[in-house]
Amino acid sequence: MPPADRRTFIKTAAGALVAVPLIPELGWARPYRAPARISVGVIGVGRQGRAILGELQKIEGVTVAAICDTDASRLSAGQRRTAGGETFAEYKQLLEKKKDAAAIFIATPTHLHRQIALDCIQAGRHVFCEGPLASTVDDCKAIAAAARGASTVFQTGLYARSNPVYQLARSFYKTDAVRTLVSMRAEDNRKNSWRTPTSSDEQDRALNWHLNPEISLGLPGEMGTHQFDVFHFFLGRYPTAVRGSGAIRVHNDGRKIADTIQIDLAFDGAVGVGGPGSGGAHLQYAATLCSSFEGRHEVFHGEAASIKLAWTHGWMFKEADAPTQGWEVWANRQQFHNDEGITLIADATKLHAQGKLKEGVGLPNSPMSYAIEDFFKSVLEKKAVVCTADEGVRASAVGIAASRAVTTGETVALDPELFKA
Amino acid sequence: MGTRFEVVLSGDVGARLRAVGEAALAEIEDWDARLSLFRRESLLSRINANAHCREVDLDQETFDLLVACREVWRGSGGAFDVTVGPLMPAWGFRDRHEGKPDKAEVAAAAEIVGFDGVELDESRRSVRFTRPGMAIDLGAIGKGHALDAAARVVRDNGVSCGLLQGGTSSVVGLGAPPDERGWRVAVGMDPGAPVAVVRDAALSVSAPHGRMVESDGRPLGHVLDPRTAAPTEGARLAAVIARGSDAARAADAWSTALLVLRDRPPGMPAGLVTALDTGASEAPVWTIEGPDAAVVFELPSASGRRSG
Repeated sequence: MPPADRRTFIKTAAGALVAVPLIPELGWARPYRAPARISVGVIGVGRQGRAILGELQKIEGVTVAAICDTDASRLSAGQRRTAGGETFAEYKQLLEKKKDAAAIFIATPTHLHRQIALDCIQAGRHVFCEGPLASTVDDCKAIAAAARGASTVFQTGLYARSNPVYQLARSFYKTDAVRTLVSMRAEDNRKNSWRTPTSSDEQDRALNWHLNPEISLGLPGEMGTHQFDVFHFFLGRYPTAVRGSGAIRVHNDGRKIADTIQIDLAFDGAVGVGGPGSGGAHLQYAATLCSSFEGRHEVFHGEAASIKLAWTHGWMFKEADAPTQGWEVWANRQQFHNDEGITLIADATKLHAQGKLKEGVGLPNSPMSYAIEDFFKSVLEKKAVVCTADEGVRASAVGIAASRAVTTGETVALDPELFKA
Repeated sequence: MGTRFEVVLSGDVGARLRAVGEAALAEIEDWDARLSLFRRESLLSRINANAHCREVDLDQETFDLLVACREVWRGSGGAFDVTVGPLMPAWGFRDRHEGKPDKAEVAAAAEIVGFDGVELDESRRSVRFTRPGMAIDLGAIGKGHALDAAARVVRDNGVSCGLLQGGTSSVVGLGAPPDERGWRVAVGMDPGAPVAVVRDAALSVSAPHGRMVESDGRPLGHVLDPRTAAPTEGARLAAVIARGSDAARAADAWSTALLVLRDRPPGMPAGLVTALDTGASEAPVWTIEGPDAAVVFELPSASGRRSG
């Protein structure tokens, strides 16, 4: 894939706005095989944990030796998704009895991450911990400090950083394809109560933790953190302040957590500079549990082009005066809303020769699978960790601040010291 | 699975019912992600891509599903066979050359179809194909399997009255609506068709209509007879009602077998209730068999119909 560097831009008007789907290299389509056999454990087998089990099952060489959950029904459901993995109701027993589980995936409620992560690191295990890293900055820092002092791998589960579509889009962003960044926005729209059915108050407290404002970061933290990190990943910068609001629009079932939120994250003047004295670009974020329209996406709105990312797909929308690039020759034409777009596929020449251009559209595997693959590459092949605990601290700190801004209605300033590498 | 699923639940607490319904639909989405042929990242796609060259380890649930496929294959004398995977695109029922059968490709695919080429290792919980090119298509059992899983979620959460359906061809009825014996579901569009009364049971309906291809000037439906490697002809509609923990899965698979066989095979479990219109005459003629057949299938008393 030739880089879209600024020099290749030819200053000619090129017709209407076109959408250019961003497709990763073909190598990402191949299933990952662990170069050596490894046994793992999964702590927390709710919906996210079972999704992790599903991905682990597809990796040749990986054995799920044990799973853990305090809820018996989830543990039973999780066990059916393994090929004979041992079950534990208490994670410390798992660590004690299953010493062959060299790597541990933590998919428990966020506020429980700290102690589990610390104990896993202490027990000498490699750790993959779902983001956000924890529900307080102090807890995040404690995890990161332990991870830094360990010889084992620690990866924070923020999936954009491993997503080939996002990596490809970032390469365009980094080579100035969008030119001046005008604005940024992101949305996560779902039609879901976010409630788990339970049969007792005790079970309700345990499984519906994300509806409890005492311990949950709500939509800004639990969902927003992952999308905020897309912008950190691209910009290499973090917001300086955040303000927001939230309300219960539909799910008025006694909950105290907003089902609809709007957040404004302000970046400093180095982001999206339009000229001397202009302020930095803002990220407008909205999330709701009341409508699924437009789903989940992130948008970098730029002077020469805009990038829209939607988990498994990505597009570049070029302005009329943006230059044509060589790789567009091999791209498919496709209708995108009211415009005819150009489907961009890496290795298009090869796909074209094979008559498989259409098959290259879209991410061939789940975004989660690439993050897990990166984790095993770090553990088994000594590759650099794609999302460290320190990165997890920074991303989680933004999510935590956003949660506080929505809860209090106040503008929350983010301490720049927090984001120093 | 490329189709629409719906859940109707009855109870007192709306918020809780909604949560139960969402959990049930999430279970269906989860199985779709695992069993879909149309998703490159699905577990089934991985099995089809790798099982011809090595054993593929499976989780307990997926292994049990393939064992169930083997049981119906045996019981139906091969009339139900999930290894029709290569035949479906050859007959034009997939994107590759939709609607246009490729006879050479059909002949080649016919050589490799047959569940006898699927090795299931109980001790390892693994699957292996003995013939290159084999592929499993769970289209005739996947909806039922997903509905069973969703119904378990509903039951486990204490909801005892509801209806779950997928693709308007597979239904699970839990309990019964007020003042009814069960959930009443019309089997087919014909006004004289039986009405199934589904209570704590599953109903599945198979028919050749829907996706069609044309071959030698004749329209052919999408249900293949694995024994002849060609679309089944003749029978108009087959319906099966089953009970038990995997009722929808059983009903789904056996309704396909019944449609292909046009008669209830000796290997079919005795507890299943069946309604079959063989298409032998121009007007529908229904043969209804099984325990309490007259109770679970209400048949309008129009002429030209009989209860077996």
